[in-house]
Amino acid sequence: MTSAPAVEFQGIDKNFSGVPVLRAVTFSVAAGRTLGLVGENGAGKSTLMNILGGNLRSDHGRMVLAGQPYAPGHPTDASRRGVAFIHQDLNLFSNLTIAENIFLTSFPRLGGAPWIAQRRLHTRTTQLLHDVGLDLAPDTPVERLSTGECQLVEIARALSVDARLIILDEPTTSLSARETDALFALLRRLQAQGIALIYISHILEHVRQLCHDVVVLRDGAVVAQGTIATFSTAALISAMVGRSLTQLYPTRHGAATGEMALEVKAVSQPGIVRAIDFTVRRGEVVGMFGLMGAGRSELARILFGLEPHASGEISIAGQPLAHADARRRIEHGLAFVSDDRRHDGLCLHASIADNLALVSLRSHARGKFKLIDRTGWQRAISRIREAVRLTAKANDDQPVQTLSGGNQQKVALGKWLLMSPAVLILDEPTRGVDVGAKFDLYQLMLDLADRGSGLLVISSEIEELIGICDRILVMSQGEIRGNFRRTEFNRETLLTAALPRETQT
Amino acid sequence: MSDAATARSWRATAARVLFSDYFVLWLCVVYVAVVAPFTPGFLTLENAGNLLATLLPLFVVALGQTLVLITGGIDLSVTSIIGLCSITGALAMNDDTGWLARSPMAMPVGAGVMLAAGALVGGFNGTAITRFRMPPFIVTLASMMGVSGAAVWLTQSKTINRLPDAFNALGGKTTIALVIALVVGISVHVMLSRSMFGRWLYAVGHNARTARVSGVPVNGVILGAYICSGVLAAVAAILYTGQAETGSPVLGQRILLDVIGATVIGGTSLFGGRGKVLWTLFGVLFLKLVDNSLNLLSLSLFTLTIVKGVVILLAALLDSLRTRLGPADR
Amino acid sequence: MRPRPSSPGILVLRQAPLILFAAIVLLFGALAPKFLTADNAINVLIQAVPTAIVAVGMTFVLLTAGVDLSVGAIMFLGGAIAGKLLVGGQPLPLALGAILAVGVAFGALNAVFVTRLRIAPFIVTLALLFIGRGVALTITQTRAMNLPDSFLQLGATRIAGVPLPLMVLGAVVLTAQVVLMHTPFGRQIYAVGNHPANARRAGIRTQRILAAVYIICGFCAALGGILSLAQLGAVSPKFGEAYEFKAIAAAVLGGTSLFGGRGAVFPGTVLGAVLIQSIETGLVILNADPYAYPVVTAAVILIAVLVDSVRNTALSRLTQRRIRVDA
Repeated sequence: MTSAPAVEFQGIDKNFSGVPVLRAVTFSVAAGRTLGLVGENGAGKSTLMNILGGNLRSDHGRMVLAGQPYAPGHPTDASRRGVAFIHQDLNLFSNLTIAENIFLTSFPRLGGAPWIAQRRLHTRTTQLLHDVGLDLAPDTPVERLSTGECQLVEIARALSVDARLIILDEPTTSLSARETDALFALLRRLQAQGIALIYISHILEHVRQLCHDVVVLRDGAVVAQGTIATFSTAALISAMVGRSLTQLYPTRHGAATGEMALEVKAVSQPGIVRAIDFTVRRGEVVGMFGLMGAGRSELARILFGLEPHASGEISIAGQPLAHADARRRIEHGLAFVSDDRRHDGLCLHASIADNLALVSLRSHARGKFKLIDRTGWQRAISRIREAVRLTAKANDDQPVQTLSGGNQQKVALGKWLLMSPAVLILDEPTRGVDVGAKFDLYQLMLDLADRGSGLLVISSEIEELIGICDRILVMSQGEIRGNFRRTEFNRETLLTAALPRETQT
Repeated sequence: MSDAATARSWRATAARVLFSDYFVLWLCVVYVAVVAPFTPGFLTLENAGNLLATLLPLFVVALGQTLVLITGGIDLSVTSIIGLCSITGALAMNDDTGWLARSPMAMPVGAGVMLAAGALVGGFNGTAITRFRMPPFIVTLASMMGVSGAAVWLTQSKTINRLPDAFNALGGKTTIALVIALVVGISVHVMLSRSMFGRWLYAVGHNARTARVSGVPVNGVILGAYICSGVLAAVAAILYTGQAETGSPVLGQRILLDVIGATVIGGTSLFGGRGKVLWTLFGVLFLKLVDNSLNLLSLSLFTLTIVKGVVILLAALLDSLRTRLGPADR
Repeated sequence: MRPRPSSPGILVLRQAPLILFAAIVLLFGALAPKFLTADNAINVLIQAVPTAIVAVGMTFVLLTAGVDLSVGAIMFLGGAIAGKLLVGGQPLPLALGAILAVGVAFGALNAVFVTRLRIAPFIVTLALLFIGRGVALTITQTRAMNLPDSFLQLGATRIAGVPLPLMVLGAVVLTAQVVLMHTPFGRQIYAVGNHPANARRAGIRTQRILAAVYIICGFCAALGGILSLAQLGAVSPKFGEAYEFKAIAAAVLGGTSLFGGRGAVFPGTVLGAVLIQSIETGLVILNADPYAYPVVTAAVILIAVLVDSVRNTALSRLTQRRIRVDA
């Protein structure tokens, strides 16, 4: 390599409210080469790429782009400097045409006139679509495109601004095998034109096929890097899992009983999940491991009755609940802590007391007018507060949003405690939570199990599942790909089962 | 003190004043103190009686609006509901053609018919909003037009006189009206602060998705809020119609700004999740004080409309200021 | 290049304006044969001009998922000021300029409150609706003002046989169509309405676009006001009342969504305005009770909004994210 690298990261640090997410990240990407960026969820890949793409700023360290210092303050700065970021959730406007999406802020114009040079727009778009191998008319509305085609339109947009560095975040998750092949052929052509690519993916076979170099991130630090040929897939996996920071786990006292808490039989929803079969017994803690986009959260929402499912059966505590809504399922003993605390878990502007009481209000309502029995209510709230070990400082009337992430999560979990649920589904229960609060949350979950609730803990952190679960299910590409007992727990095996397979049928 | 600390303490003070339950009451006191010297006849017992008589029905409608705003919606149709209820009640009860004419049961049954009419329109609004996911402001705007159109159509734009005395007394005698308004006010207060439905209203307004995940029947709660708003508008119609001793299809047509202005200036948020009976009471008081004093200064009706429009804008500004000064998101 | 079929349900929803239009014309045609004459058609078209122009402005605002309830007040206030000027002996061009200036100023005021102070559009424009009418009533002292003949001439003039109002409508629609469909600004309006956060991230100046649509809407309301006054010949205290309904109804009936990002001035909004006028004229021909008109209009709005909401729900379901590639 003779010329300056396309991009160089030099000692990038980043903290989110005191928690380090990136530590002294240093590596570079050469022009015309593709770098695979791999790591577990939460390893810091997205944060790093958001810094590169101008969505975030680093605390320390600097970036050098093609030999020039680079510190984007806004995504438009990044695109002006030739950096294009293709997000997993595509940023296209569904109501506009392909051509309009590509040239939205840089329409070709007729001389100095304010209107669009339609013919030039058409020819330039046709050329770009030809370059990316998309055989569609430039004026096709984007809402008619498949995800794979949208992906190609995003790449065409990157080419339209002469991007020298393109970041792709999990571009193949919703592509068919044929679409993936086409995409890779295109990416190789781009490499040949001297464009540098950063390719983020959990599908290690794809990384292997496409990339020249690889960087492995774990806990915000670069733990391995080099040319891809020097790593076997197994070596990559063990670099990814390593040993995370030591986290203490509470000891488990109880054990599963024979009684069935949750039974899921052949649940399918086209495009989302297929043939999901599993059970959770009372007192059992079942983990569900999977990477982002595996369909875990979607399955949780289906189980809880927030999203529809086309076929299959779900029973709670022996009661089949065909297509009941969330309210009916709660009445039957199902509880759910969503991964989206801000939108589904808490009323952020409401008080701690109101949040804690929301689920169990009904049991405190007395008489024809359903008036709340205040003393009983107060007593229940202080009981939960004590149980969840909420910080002593916080006052019951304080809005939940003033609490730290860990305490917010305790409230989101605490509101279900009073109903002693038959089954509690927790989706990423410790995300964005500090170490001390994590321990408290684990303790709370195990206490619940000891008192006879069945727990389904969904997480993308292998460590914590190994730390607290009796059994771990592995989910990938909308299917259950494994069921491991405690004795079979092994980081590498679990991650291998969770990695998406190269081709889907 | 550093700049940041000064800014923080300024922010804290501003927030404390704006969030105080009694902020608007103090505003009223200041307003009276400033305006009274220039306004002959403002601080008289007679004027106070007038003020109270016009304040009571407005308070009742504003309570309904408060419930709807707490859920994060809006009900622009209340004024038309008042007109519709006024004429349905009057058509039923009047001494000439009403099917309840001169019946001893005229007053209670007539009032019941009015409440039912209010509930019906509220139910319609609520159904369109929850079942068909139509935006609240456009649904209630359309029903404002449709309902008032229907009221005018039914009566051919005529007023209906000769209502039973017992009915007229409900709104005409300020003491009875006061009792009605108090009962309504206290019931709504108890409902909001003590009942399950009240807690659900706030939860839905704060975050409907969380409420749904927590087992709150969100659609039912929103529907309930609009029905309550319709019924309370009907109660206001009873008071207004009694005051005027006449059923009129355009009764209440002018008070849309008063209702929304009073509720929002009181502190109930347009963003949902926040609102109290006491706040609305103070808001209504403030708006009526402005209204009354400008009337005494014999300013024209249009000037009053302008002033109220400005009051709404200020109230909305205050609301977004309160929201921004609120505890920062983490 | 492959054409892509859409689902039949969506297709029906997309064609809803035309289907509704055909249904209304056939209904009135069956009830009153006079309705289907060429004379009546031209009459309806000319009568629909003011509504159509105001609705064109409303379309710009609706495309950003906002709303402007103050259009009727703008018409009235502009008319009141122009009336005063004309009665005071000022020349016609000055009066017309004053109306348009009022429109732009009101639009700018709406824009400031919506973009700078971040108040919900419907509340801002509702308050300005009342303020505008209050000011106008104070100016006119609630009396009707007759406008001079020169003003009425505007409505009667023909250029090359085409009535001036139709010419103006044609110019407005053509300009709006070019702006919306063929300028970067127009396409960015659609992007902002589709996804404001993404639009900001893509580097679009969303605040500027929002401000611009309210000013355009104010201008169109004023222009519509001029043409309406030219038909009526007088500024009555009720002038412009409920025009916001007509304008919203016309736009939404024409397929513009209240949820933003969807709709078009031509044929959509123009068709919607003609549809509303057809209903009004049809009711007149049928000798219906004039008091029933608002009820009918309200029902039409509700139907239009219902169709819009159903379509919106259906579309959002279509764009859901998929995890697996199932057959």
